[in-house]
Amino acid sequence: MKPMLSTELNVADTTAEKAKIEVKNLNFYYGQSKALKDISLSLPERSVTAFIGPSGCGKSTLLRVFNRIYELYPKQSADGQVLLDGKNILDRSQDLNLLRTKIGMVFQKPTPFPMSIYENIAFGIRLYERIGKSEMDGRVEQALRRAALWTEVKDKLNANGLSLSGGQQQRLCIARTVAVKPEGILLDEPASALDPLSTAKIEELIDELQADYTIVIVTHNMQQAARVSKQTAFMYLGELVEFDRTEKIFTSPREKRTQDYITGRFG
Amino acid sequence: MSTSSNSTLYRGRKAKNKVMMALCVAAAGSGLAWLALILGALLYKGLSGLSLAVFTQMTPPPGDAGGLLNAIYGSVVMTVIAIVVGTPIGVLAGTYMAEYGRFSKLTTIVRFINDILLSAPSIIVGLFVYELLVRPMGHFSALAGSVALAILVIPVVVRTTEDMLNLVPNALREAGTAIGAPRWVVIRSVAYRAALSGIVTGILLAIARISGETAPLLFTALNNQFWSSNLNAPMASLPVTIFQFALSPYEEWQQLAWTGALIITLTVLGLSIFARSLTGRREDR
Amino acid sequence: MGEHTVASFDEDLGQISRLISDMGDLAGSMVSGATKALLTSDNALAQRVVSDDAIMDARQRELDDRAITLIAKRQPMADDLRHVVGSIRMAGDLERIGDLAKNIAKRVGSVGISATPRDLSHSIDSMAQLVLIQVQGVIEEYAARDAQALAKLRADDERIDVKYTSVFRELLTYMMEDPRNITACTHLLFCAKNLERIGDHVTNIAENAYYVLTGTQLPANRPKLDETAIPAPAA
Repeated sequence: MKPMLSTELNVADTTAEKAKIEVKNLNFYYGQSKALKDISLSLPERSVTAFIGPSGCGKSTLLRVFNRIYELYPKQSADGQVLLDGKNILDRSQDLNLLRTKIGMVFQKPTPFPMSIYENIAFGIRLYERIGKSEMDGRVEQALRRAALWTEVKDKLNANGLSLSGGQQQRLCIARTVAVKPEGILLDEPASALDPLSTAKIEELIDELQADYTIVIVTHNMQQAARVSKQTAFMYLGELVEFDRTEKIFTSPREKRTQDYITGRFG
Repeated sequence: MSTSSNSTLYRGRKAKNKVMMALCVAAAGSGLAWLALILGALLYKGLSGLSLAVFTQMTPPPGDAGGLLNAIYGSVVMTVIAIVVGTPIGVLAGTYMAEYGRFSKLTTIVRFINDILLSAPSIIVGLFVYELLVRPMGHFSALAGSVALAILVIPVVVRTTEDMLNLVPNALREAGTAIGAPRWVVIRSVAYRAALSGIVTGILLAIARISGETAPLLFTALNNQFWSSNLNAPMASLPVTIFQFALSPYEEWQQLAWTGALIITLTVLGLSIFARSLTGRREDR
Repeated sequence: MGEHTVASFDEDLGQISRLISDMGDLAGSMVSGATKALLTSDNALAQRVVSDDAIMDARQRELDDRAITLIAKRQPMADDLRHVVGSIRMAGDLERIGDLAKNIAKRVGSVGISATPRDLSHSIDSMAQLVLIQVQGVIEEYAARDAQALAKLRADDERIDVKYTSVFRELLTYMMEDPRNITACTHLLFCAKNLERIGDHVTNIAENAYYVLTGTQLPANRPKLDETAIPAPAA
């Protein structure tokens, strides 16, 4: 089924900024059922893009295409093109593990590894780099500072990652992700399991990180999407309904469906 | 709705509650009572025979005093070999079922067969190993005994490994994958570490299980009156020794049987408590 | 317009709309009352207009409170946000219209009908009628969600400006003819200026209403034909 509205009409021209990730005619399948229908959009680099939409609209599915984590599950597949700096990452020849060092992911529920805080961060670095202890110490400190966690944990780097609070665990996961020096970071509802103060810290972190990384965030919280992102994509039932600058989407969206969703007139 | 019918309903429910509660307490109490009786008998009969001699002297001929050294040694040796052989097979099989083959048909079949093997009568296992090893070799041996015990260890370890690995949340695996780790690194460094205490518990439970197995050893290791450390020959073991001594008419032998039973019970109890303390620590986190 | 899933949100928005429409009606009645009182020298009517201004002020404060509470509680987005912010602005303009009408009413005593010649009275009356049409029109068209009509209404303000220019010149003529007219004519001058200001506030309201309805602003350059500031060529 062809989407009702042509994406050209409702997709803002963000090509003025350099596109880090370009999606072209992406379709995604859970077995036989089509979860993403002909998605095309362009994500600018070093900027935050938000995906919003009701449950089941496909925003998390789309996010998980960017690091091909769906490959862990046999019945899930994608076709179309997703170009990272011009190279199609859906290609058979794409090395998945290397892709994931370029594009990191933070999940909804904080998932620190069952290791010490230090090890959590060193683990990812050790996978692909061979560096000495003092250099590793430096990298760990740098990552923890980047995640605004250093001052809180610098005296207990050997404590188990699970002994931290929820908000700290999530920042640990972010530190772990930036430690391997990716180019893009995918955030799947990173703050939905956290209290308001931790959420605010995470949002501040996203603000700082966007200077260096291309960030994509999926969120249920529209106010958060409005606060944090530069451009927003509204999805519904597997289609991209509207994609534009955040201010435009939240003050005068073009599509009625977008307007109904963000003003709470859905259903 | 009148209040009187309400209160009759209420009183009826309260009465039923009391009855059920009483039945539950009685059932729990009776279970505990049996346990107390068994432990009590063991302690009473076995403790008096417990002495250093039990651990330093061999099994005696009828009428003489002695100990259980060769039996203890035999049990320990065969248990260790069984664990060393059975654990890797069990853990790797469990890993396959939980990680690589989680969605495959083979896993479902293997799990089913494993569950059958788990509750198979151990005498059948003994018989099987008898046909497989003892007959061709022409004689009983500790090796055959160890193999039989290993066959009993494997299903337990497979089951616990698979269950514990399945308990590791998928999000953790995804987190490991998302950082660029290949599959086997994720399993080794993330999944295993998360499930470690559970898998160790499984191994301890397997030890506890085979500690008391008599039937398979009857067909494989038989028993040995004397000291033997030769794997290729029959070897004494605590369960078989207890069997032999308990049925005999000699008092010293019967006393040693009780003591042996006490030793096994205390060992199994100790292992179970240790296993429980491991899981307890995990839950605290 | 679809309804919000949370019904009380719709109620809150509805209360703000009702306040705007009440204030609009009040503005209309104040302007018509003030001009009628001016032209018929009706001091009682003038008094009523002056006291109505207190009601107008109270309404504006109430709308401010409700609007700010709604923003804090509901975090409105898109059209709801424009509606609320637009209402705050429109209430401000309507309150100023009330003040200007009150100002006209206060001068009724100082003008006195006998001193006003029929032609002048006629000019001021026709200017006032234009302004009244604008005031009533803007509220109706906002309620009817007619963005095109609002754009046209904003352009129509030029007629008021033109009329004001001619009234201004008439008053100067009368003042030059007979110095005894100066007091009355000066007051009339202020009244005419107030009417012209009311017209300007109406165009503000129209621009806000247009933004609320469509999400885009009307072009900044509004036709301004008030030529009183342009020095007349040397007589």
